[in-house]
Amino acid sequence: MTRRAAVVAGIVVFVLAAGAVTSAFAQVGPLGGLRAPAATGVVGWILAEQALFYRALSGLIRAAKTDGSAYWGLMGISFVYGIFHAAGPGHGKAVISSYLLANEETWRRGIALSFASALLQALTAVVIVAVAAVLIGATAKMMGDTVRVIEIVSYALIVLLGARLLWVKGRGFLHALYAVRSGSKPAATAGAEHHAHPAHDAHAYRDHHDHAYKEHTHHGHAHDHHNYDDEEESALPWGHAHGPELEELAGPGGWHRGLSAIVAVGLRPCSGAIIVLVFALAQGLFLAGIASTFVMGLGTAITVAAIATLAVAAKAAAKRFATTRAGHGSLVLRGVEVGAALLVMAFGVLLLTGTMASERMGMF
Amino acid sequence: MLYRFVFLIIGMACLFAGTQRADAHPHVWVTMTEELLYAPDGSVTGVRHAWTFDDMFSAFATEGIEQKTKGEFAREELAPLAKVNVESLKDYAYFTYARVDGKRHKDAFLEPIDYYLDYDPKDTVLTLHFTLPFKTPVKAKAIEVEVYDPEFFIDFGFAEKDPIRLVSAPAQCIASIEKPNDGNFPATLRLDQAFQTSEANAGMGASFANKISVTCP
Repeated sequence: MTRRAAVVAGIVVFVLAAGAVTSAFAQVGPLGGLRAPAATGVVGWILAEQALFYRALSGLIRAAKTDGSAYWGLMGISFVYGIFHAAGPGHGKAVISSYLLANEETWRRGIALSFASALLQALTAVVIVAVAAVLIGATAKMMGDTVRVIEIVSYALIVLLGARLLWVKGRGFLHALYAVRSGSKPAATAGAEHHAHPAHDAHAYRDHHDHAYKEHTHHGHAHDHHNYDDEEESALPWGHAHGPELEELAGPGGWHRGLSAIVAVGLRPCSGAIIVLVFALAQGLFLAGIASTFVMGLGTAITVAAIATLAVAAKAAAKRFATTRAGHGSLVLRGVEVGAALLVMAFGVLLLTGTMASERMGMF
Repeated sequence: MLYRFVFLIIGMACLFAGTQRADAHPHVWVTMTEELLYAPDGSVTGVRHAWTFDDMFSAFATEGIEQKTKGEFAREELAPLAKVNVESLKDYAYFTYARVDGKRHKDAFLEPIDYYLDYDPKDTVLTLHFTLPFKTPVKAKAIEVEVYDPEFFIDFGFAEKDPIRLVSAPAQCIASIEKPNDGNFPATLRLDQAFQTSEANAGMGASFANKISVTCP
């Protein structure tokens, strides 16, 4: 079991690191001279499909001018386009997933975060075009510049989010490290070390139940309860050696906490949505454009939510492995959290410095 | 336990895939016709681009531009936009990469000249014309010019009709074009072909570049 835990933790760290490295180096700008490989295989196919859907949108918007039934086609294509489109960069998949890895979140919250950020993205696109194009009569360049400013704010927020996570998770890691250092003591006396946190027992109990609940709802496993409890019990003093103040941040509820992630990720609108909206406006079908944007956002949300759910499941699996081993297991878990927090911050920095491309507004 | 493990790996792979450049998706499509300009001594002095944007991007780009006649844009009305375009393109090295006798010719071009935008009211599309002069005219047996966006936010593709023209080139020069084997023409891309492409491309540094090759033996 311990070997397996180590293997899993190793793979998680490796994949995260590899992801960070490739996104850093594969995304050197045009002047860097590094040529990206063409999208091939399944990903290439998805991208080819989404490109087809995107191009079909213009025809459908034109058709909707004269043919009311084209609206249905427009909404259908918008939805499917949203689903496929979110496979590309941007749309906060990486940031949201890393955020979920760093935190103790339920899959429900993961999905809620994904939907909220995707819908916020649609909303900012609509607001930008409504204000800039409809009210002010701004040019494409002005809209592009606006998006650029929003983008910088959004990326800076991602850096801040990562920094805060790193601060919280870094302390959790140090806590776990301290616990492992003094780990030769028997578990019974270990509890005494944490007398500084009077709520420890209560919170551990709550956390354990919460955890069990999550396991059941998510995977539909019929766990042997007794057995599971025993497992959890033995790991408890170490597995949850962090203080209650961390538990507050990691635990359920606290919608405002997720809000920072939603805003950081959802602020930057999708370039495609803005182009579609302006095109719809030029065709005199702005409302159809707005509807299409939100339906697209819904599709995007589904893809992001699917990936977010995998991130939550991965975290839950990692936690399970970790809790089967006292001391080191918890250390590995906290280590993964610190790694994910670092990743959120790294994404923010790479996006902010333009090293990692998110989306571009065409050629402006 | 095992299935958990597999689940974890798949999840991570998805995360990982989501951050890779190859997933980039274009929002702008460009259909291009290209000209290579020759001096009387047979050297190439520059590249003349004519890039036609797709209708959605054209609508976006012309948003907020004043027009005398509705549905039409005169060249003068589009002049400020053309200026913005070529100035912005500088940051992307004009998406134009030259190779002389097989060797990469870095920083090969001067700033664009003779640039303007045309609007086709029937197809409602914009075409950007501009000339990139070589810093020093190139005389070589083989010249290659590639046009692509390394980030793939713009999908470049050759026009179906007369995509390349050699202007006052020596008679023995022959031009040919090479299209990327995927990406630009998704309508013909099927899943099985996609897999084939992926194998064929392995290790070949494949790209979505559109290549113009001229040989003057």
